[in-house]
Amino acid sequence: MRTGGGGASTVSRDDRRAPRDELLARLRAGSGNRPRVSPSLAGGLRAWLEDAAAELVIARGEGAPPLFLGPRLVEAALPRPPEPRHRPVPTSIDTALSCLVHVVFRHVASIGPSLVAPSLDPGDVGRRRGALLDHALAALSVDPARGDVVALVHSFDDGQRRELAEALHTHVEHLCRLTPQFVPSWLPRTDDRVSIPLAGGRIMLTGVFDLLVGAPVPDTATVCALGVSAGGRWQELRAGLHYLALLETLRTGCPPFRLALIHSGVGRYDVEDVRSSHLVAMTEHVATVLGAMAGRGA
Amino acid sequence: MPEPFTPPRLSDALTAPALWDPTLPEILASLASRLDALPVSRQPRRPFRIIDHTVRAALDPHGPGTDTPFVWSAITARRALGLSAVRHLVDGRARTPVEAVQMAVAEVTGRGLSGAGGAGGRPPEGPMGRWLVRLTDTARTAVTAETVTWATRLWVGLDWSVFTTPPTIGRDRWWDSPRTALLALRSRAEVRTVVPCAAAPGAPPDPGARSPEVASTHLVVLSGPRRPSARAELCLVALVEALLVPATAPPGRVIGWWPDSGHAIRVEVDRAALEEGVRAVAAALAGPGGATKAPRPAAAA
Repeated sequence: MRTGGGGASTVSRDDRRAPRDELLARLRAGSGNRPRVSPSLAGGLRAWLEDAAAELVIARGEGAPPLFLGPRLVEAALPRPPEPRHRPVPTSIDTALSCLVHVVFRHVASIGPSLVAPSLDPGDVGRRRGALLDHALAALSVDPARGDVVALVHSFDDGQRRELAEALHTHVEHLCRLTPQFVPSWLPRTDDRVSIPLAGGRIMLTGVFDLLVGAPVPDTATVCALGVSAGGRWQELRAGLHYLALLETLRTGCPPFRLALIHSGVGRYDVEDVRSSHLVAMTEHVATVLGAMAGRGA
Repeated sequence: MPEPFTPPRLSDALTAPALWDPTLPEILASLASRLDALPVSRQPRRPFRIIDHTVRAALDPHGPGTDTPFVWSAITARRALGLSAVRHLVDGRARTPVEAVQMAVAEVTGRGLSGAGGAGGRPPEGPMGRWLVRLTDTARTAVTAETVTWATRLWVGLDWSVFTTPPTIGRDRWWDSPRTALLALRSRAEVRTVVPCAAAPGAPPDPGARSPEVASTHLVVLSGPRRPSARAELCLVALVEALLVPATAPPGRVIGWWPDSGHAIRVEVDRAALEEGVRAVAAALAGPGGATKAPRPAAAA
């Protein structure tokens, strides 16, 4: 994988080209020359993972329930002990902020910033920021799995709510500046879930693409992926995208063509190509983690 | 090791000729009476509706319960809206999934594509339409985004040019027992078509020459993890289609496809598949209590 276009970029008001247009241009560069992918690539990676998964299944026992492993698998050398499948109850403004940023990103990527942009205009700042928070909460409320986050925000006192609204405003400002407007014919879709079964479904590697663009074509890397994060360390976020690239390779037989990452907190973004060496490195990492879990009898 | 089902392979699997099992007429004739013989003991005063979810709840030790109340959400609305959108795409009325989903939302809400209600607007259609109308614009956009993803995956998952006749998209079919109002079975499939039917290689001769000219094939979009009950869920579709003969073409094949993983399983409809369908109904009638539930799946990362 190589970093395209000279490395990460931080948004500056002095940029001549709008950052979202620059990001889009870097995402599209060379799009007429999509790389061919060896038909044996996915099979080889999967075989590697299946070997590691088999060890873990033996360690856990045949009757153990399926084990779901998500992107946090790549964040630590050794995973934490298994936790209950249900989502942990959010306890901080940061947790709520992350969910709200994602739902606003989905909105901006789907139809553009038209509905949230007025909230960014100057004027009665407090009222507009409150309105933005209300918009985001309304969008979040149609997902019952996020009911705990909505309830958490409603439980905040005025000060916490104001702090959250101000933080959200900053993130959304960056999102609106950085998120490209994708032509509908490029088939943009948000929150595309990937779930790869190993060992006959006893181990599940899971993840969610914040945004995918392009239609899969056999034996050709055609899809671009864009990830958004409200926080976290840049290298871990990149590794998370590489993990998703591996899952996409296992799902369709082809990796994404290119990856983009937006950090909405600081307004930073980067675009990079997907290379087979990084898929191999990520496969090795996941296999190592599965092996370590097997050693601990997880 | 199964390979992912890319669009051409999935379409080819759906449109390949079906192989006719000459012993099927015998079992087709006895299916209804065999179902009538099953005890319908649960909820005796209400019609018992067997759907894929019921089968999964009965057979999958890690599967869902049946006691979760239904609520409208982006997840529960996306299939109906998404199927409508894919119909628009296949018919050529919409050029992109985004446009198609906006049309689908406009149809059920009675509002124009701009989202504006009022003059010229129709009343919303059904419970989903009324729910969508009550949402704020941002909430409705969240539903639209979820549906766009669902519809795009189905739209790019198939090569639609291989269908010689327009496929049927998203029409659930029900079989109601003629003997008792207590039993109804649902066949859920996202895409249905008919294909030529040929005698299975090595099959015994069919002196009655009763093999049909065409058989139906069905694509079922599956969610959640791969599970032991998946084949039984597909066999329920095969069973219902068999029970509906001669009103519909006899079933030839049912394909279950997970967009999340790109994998598919394929059930060729033969005596064994229909027998499994009957067993699935029997298990569902016994209810989730008939199977021992295992601990819920775990998550580690």
